[in-house]
Amino acid sequence: MTHAETSEEMSHEEAANDRVMFGFWVYLMTDLLMFSVLFAVYAVLHGNSLGGPTGRDLFSPPLALTETLILLTSSFTCGLGMIAARKGIKKQTLFWFGITFLLGLAFLSIELYEFVEFIHEGHTMRSNAFMSSFFLLVGTHGVHITSALIWAAITLFFVAKRGLTKSMVRKLSMLSLFWHFLDIVWIFIFTVVYLMAFV
Amino acid sequence: MSTESHVTKSNTKSEHGTTGSYVIGFILSLVFTIIPYYLVVNKVIAGNALLAVILSIAILQMAIQLLFFLHLGRGPKPLYNVVFFFATAGVIVLTISASLFIMSHLYQNMSPEEITTRLAQKEGISQLGGEKTGACKELGDNHIITIKDGQVSPIHLEASLCDTLTFINEDNKKRVMKFGSHTAQVSYGGEYEVVLDDGRPETITLNQSGDFAFHDDQDINTDGHFSVAP
Amino acid sequence: MREFLIGKLNADALPHEWFTIAGSVGFTLMLLFAVGLITYKKRWKWLWNEWFTSVDPKKIGIMYFIAGGFMLVRGGLDAIMLWLQQSLSSGSSHGYLSADHFQQIFTAHGNIMVFFVAMALIFGLINYIVPLQIGARDLASPFMNTLGFWLYVAGVIMVNMFFFLGNEYGAAGWLAVAPLSGKEFSPGVGMDYWIWSLQISGIGTTLAAINFIMTMLKMRAKGMTLFKMPLFTWGSLCSMAMAVTVFPLLTMTIFLMFFDRYFGTHFFTTTGGGNAMMYTNLIWMWGHPEVYILMLPSLGVFSEVVSTFSRKPIAFYKSNVFGMIGISTLALMVWLHHFFTMGAGADVNSAFGVATMIIAIPTTVLVFSWIVTMYKGKIRLTVPMLWFLGFIAVFALGGISGVLLAIPPVDFQLHNSLFLVAHFHSTVVGGVLFGIFAGLAYWFPKIAGFRLNERIGRYAVWSWIIGFFVAFIPLYVLGLMGATRRLDHYDASTGWQPFFIMSLIGGIIIAIGAALQIVQIIASFIQKRRLADTTGDPWDGRTLEWSVASPAPAYNFAVIPEVSSRDAYFEMKKLGISKPTYKDIHMPKNTASGIYISIFAFLVGFGFVWEIVWLVVVSILGIIICLIAKTFNEDSEYTIPAEVVEKMEEHQADKVRAFHKDDDEVDMGLLEFIKIALSWAWRLVRGKR
Repeated sequence: MTHAETSEEMSHEEAANDRVMFGFWVYLMTDLLMFSVLFAVYAVLHGNSLGGPTGRDLFSPPLALTETLILLTSSFTCGLGMIAARKGIKKQTLFWFGITFLLGLAFLSIELYEFVEFIHEGHTMRSNAFMSSFFLLVGTHGVHITSALIWAAITLFFVAKRGLTKSMVRKLSMLSLFWHFLDIVWIFIFTVVYLMAFV
Repeated sequence: MSTESHVTKSNTKSEHGTTGSYVIGFILSLVFTIIPYYLVVNKVIAGNALLAVILSIAILQMAIQLLFFLHLGRGPKPLYNVVFFFATAGVIVLTISASLFIMSHLYQNMSPEEITTRLAQKEGISQLGGEKTGACKELGDNHIITIKDGQVSPIHLEASLCDTLTFINEDNKKRVMKFGSHTAQVSYGGEYEVVLDDGRPETITLNQSGDFAFHDDQDINTDGHFSVAP
Repeated sequence: MREFLIGKLNADALPHEWFTIAGSVGFTLMLLFAVGLITYKKRWKWLWNEWFTSVDPKKIGIMYFIAGGFMLVRGGLDAIMLWLQQSLSSGSSHGYLSADHFQQIFTAHGNIMVFFVAMALIFGLINYIVPLQIGARDLASPFMNTLGFWLYVAGVIMVNMFFFLGNEYGAAGWLAVAPLSGKEFSPGVGMDYWIWSLQISGIGTTLAAINFIMTMLKMRAKGMTLFKMPLFTWGSLCSMAMAVTVFPLLTMTIFLMFFDRYFGTHFFTTTGGGNAMMYTNLIWMWGHPEVYILMLPSLGVFSEVVSTFSRKPIAFYKSNVFGMIGISTLALMVWLHHFFTMGAGADVNSAFGVATMIIAIPTTVLVFSWIVTMYKGKIRLTVPMLWFLGFIAVFALGGISGVLLAIPPVDFQLHNSLFLVAHFHSTVVGGVLFGIFAGLAYWFPKIAGFRLNERIGRYAVWSWIIGFFVAFIPLYVLGLMGATRRLDHYDASTGWQPFFIMSLIGGIIIAIGAALQIVQIIASFIQKRRLADTTGDPWDGRTLEWSVASPAPAYNFAVIPEVSSRDAYFEMKKLGISKPTYKDIHMPKNTASGIYISIFAFLVGFGFVWEIVWLVVVSILGIIICLIAKTFNEDSEYTIPAEVVEKMEEHQADKVRAFHKDDDEVDMGLLEFIKIALSWAWRLVRGKR
C-alpha cells in the first residue's frame, strides 16, 4: 500500500464518520419533534384532571430535583468518558461510562418508583387526560433512557473486548450525544411538568 | 497494530470539549437547576412572571448544554447541524404554541360546557351538575334603558343580581348594542350583543355581577354603563 | 392457552365477505404465479442476492417503482369501485356496495394512494436519480436505505392483510379522525391494521429521509455547492427536510391513538377529559406538509424536464430554489385550513387563511421560472414535456380552487363537499402523479437502458389529461350543487346522477390511460434493441446523471467528476472530457438485515393487531438483536479493482463510438402492438396443443 492510498483511505473513513454523526444529529431532531407532540398534548390536556388530583397534589419537588441532579451529573461523567475515549485511554473510558450507566440506572429507578407510587394510589394513565399525558410524556423519556442504557451496556462490552477502535469511539460519541440530548429533554420535563405544576 | 494507536490524533480540542468546558457547563447547569427550583418552592415570585422566568431559565440551560456538552457549532463547516437544530426548534415552538393558540380559541368558542351553561341560563336553570350556572331562580326588579336620538338614559344604572334590564330603542333605525367599550368588546353572561329592531324592546336577565359598559358599534356617541351588585 | 397463543384470532377472521374472498384469492393466485415463475426459471438465488438484499440505491429505486406501481393499480381499482357505486346508487337503487364497505374503500383509496403509491414512486425516483445527479456512488447509509424500503414493504403487506385475516379495513377516513377511530366507535381490527401499516411504513420513511438528507448535504461531488445542485435534487432536499420534520409528528400522534385504543388512555377520546379536536390538529400538522413532501420532488422533475427539452438552462435558478424553500417553510404553517369549520373562531381562521394564500406566491414563482425557460427555447414536445403541459393545466385548476378554499367564509360553504375532493385531486394528480410520470418517462432510458415508446406514451398522456377533466369538472359542479364527499347514496331528486355518471366515464378514460402506460412499457420492452440508449445521453441532457452509461453501472461514476457550473454535464460536453485514471472503488456489501428487521417489525404490528403478546415481545427482541448484529459488524465493504472499472468504462466508450444517430421514428404504434400481442398469444395457444 503506498502512502497516498493510505491517506485517501483515512479521509474516506473520516468523511463517513462525519456523515454518520450528522445523520445521527438529524435523527435526534426527529426524536425531539416526537417529544414536541407529547409536550403539546400535555400543555393542552394537563388541566383536564376531571376532579382527580392535579400535578400540585401528586408531584414531589424534591424527588424531581433529585432526578434532575442525577441526570445532570451523569451527563457530566459521560462527557468526561468521551474525553478519555478520544484520548484512547480505555480504563478511564470504561470507568466514566460505567458511572454514567449507574447514575442512569438510579434515575430510572426513581422514575419507576414514582410511577409505581401513582399507580398504587390508583392514578393510572386511564384515570383522566392529565394522567394519560403525564405518563406518556415522562414514560417516553423513560423508555429512551432504558434503551440508552441497553445500548451503553452493549457498547461498553464491545469496548472492553475490542478496545477503542475508531468505530467504537464513533459509537461512544453517538451514545454520548444521545445521553446529553435526553438530559436536555429532561430539563424541559422538569420545568414544564414538575415545576409549572406549582406555579 | 495496537488498537489504541490510531486514535492518538487528539487535535480535536476545538471540535470536542475539554475537561474545563465540561466542568463549567456542569456548574452552570446546576446553578440553573437550583434557581428555578428555589423560586418555585419558596414562592419568591408568582404567576406569569414566575412562569416566564422558569421557562427562560430552561431555555438558557438548554443553550448551555448545547454549547458545553454537545459542542454545537464547532463541527466541520458548513454547519448543517446548527441549521437543522434551529429549524427543529422553530417547528417545536410552532407545534406547541399553535396547538395552544388553536385549542384555547376552540375552547373559548366551542366549549360544550359553556354552551350548556348558556342554554341553562336562558331556560332559567340555576344549577347544573352541582355547579351554579348563573341563572336566577327568581327575577328581581325591572330596569329600563331608553335610547333616543342616540342618547342613552340613564347613562349609568345601578341594579342587583337577578334583576332584569330592558332596552328600548326609540330611534327609527336598527341598533346592535354590544357589551364592553368601543375598543374592547366583552361578553355579558355569555352574550355579546343585544339586537334592537324597529322599536321592539329587548329584555335581558342580569346574571353576572360587576361593572359593565355597552355601546352601539355603529354610533360612536351611543354608550352607557351599568353595575350589578351581587 | 389458546388466547395466549393466537390472541383474538379465530375462524371469523378468515375471509368470508365477498370482497375479502375475491381479494385473498386474487392475491394468492398472483403470489402463486410469481413463486411458480421464479421457481421454474430457477431465479430464487438471483432474486435474493441481486435484488432483495441489495443496497444499491438504483435497484432499491426500481423495487420502489414496482411496488408503488402495483399499489397504484390496487388504489385505482378502489377509485373505480367508488365511482361505480356513486353513479349507480341514486334514488331507489342502492348500488352494489354496502355503506360500510363503501367507507372502507374510500379509506383504503386515500391511504394507499398517499402512503403506498405516491411516497413509493417519489422514493423510487430519488433513490435512482439523486446520487447520480450529485456525483455520488451510493447513499450515506446503504443499510438504512434497504431498511426503509423493506419497512415500506412490510407496511404494504400490512395494509392488504385484512383480505386474508380480519375481513375489514378501517372505515374512519384516510386520516382516521378521532373519536370515530377510537375503540368505542371502531372496535374491529381494521383500525389496528391502519395504525400499524402507517406506523411501520412511516418509520421507514423517516429513516429513508434522514439518509437522503445525509447524502445530499454531505456527499456531493467536489465543486458542487448547494447553488449548483440540480433542481430535482433541490426539490428532493426540501421534500426530505420536511419529511424528517413532520413524520415524527405523525408517528407520535398515531402512537397516542394506539395507546387510546389498546390501553384506555384519554388523549383523543370523548370521555375522561380527552380532546378529539387535538387529534385533528396534530394529524393535519403532518397531513398538510405531506402533500408538499410529495409535490416538491415533482416540481423538481418539471424544472429538469423543461430545461432539457427547451435546450436552455433553467431561468431564475435561485428564485426557483428559494421558491421551493418558501413552499416548504410555509407549508408547515397552514394546517388549520383543513379544519376551518371546527370552530376555533375568526382570529385563528384568518391567521391560517392568510398563510395559506401566501403559498400561492412561491408556487407562482416556480411557474414563471418554467415559462421563462421555455420562452425562445427550442422546445421538443416529448412525452415528459407533454406531462408538464398537462400538469400546468390541471394544477392551475387545483391552485385556483385552492386559493378559493383558503378563504374561511368560502370554506364554510365548500367544506366536506365534492368541490374539495375535486380540488385536492387536481393538485395531487397534477402536481404529484404527472410529475412522477414525467420523471419516469424522462429517466426511463437511464434506468432501463432504452427509452420508452413515444407514440403510445402520447396516447397515454392525452387519455390522462382528458380523463382527468371529464372526471373532476363534474365533481367541482357537484360540490357547488351541495353534494358532500363520501356519499354512498343520494336522493334522485337532487339531479346529481348524470354528473356522477360523467365522472365515472372520466375515470374510465383515466383507467385507459393507465392501461396504455402499461402497454407502452411492454411495447418498449419488445422494441428494446431499437430504442436502446447506447450513449447514456438520449435527450442531450444537462446534469451529471447523463454522463454515465445507461443503465448506470453499480458504482455510478468510475471517477467522481468535479463540478464547476450548474448544468455540469452540459459544460463537460462543451469542454470535452479527458481520459481519467481509474482507482479501486469501495462499495457497500449486500445485507439481509433490512429484510429480517422488517419481518420482525411486521410481526410486532401483527401481534398487536391480534393481541398476541408473546409474538410482540419475541419480535421486538428480534429487532434489537438484528440491530446489534448489524451495528457491530465491521466488515461491510467490498472493492471493485481499478482494472475491472477500466474494462467496463472502455466497453461503454466503444458503444458510444459505434453509435450513429438515425432520425426515423421507430416507435411502434398501438395497432402494431396489438398485432404483435395477438400473434404472440396465437403462438402460445398453438404451442400448447
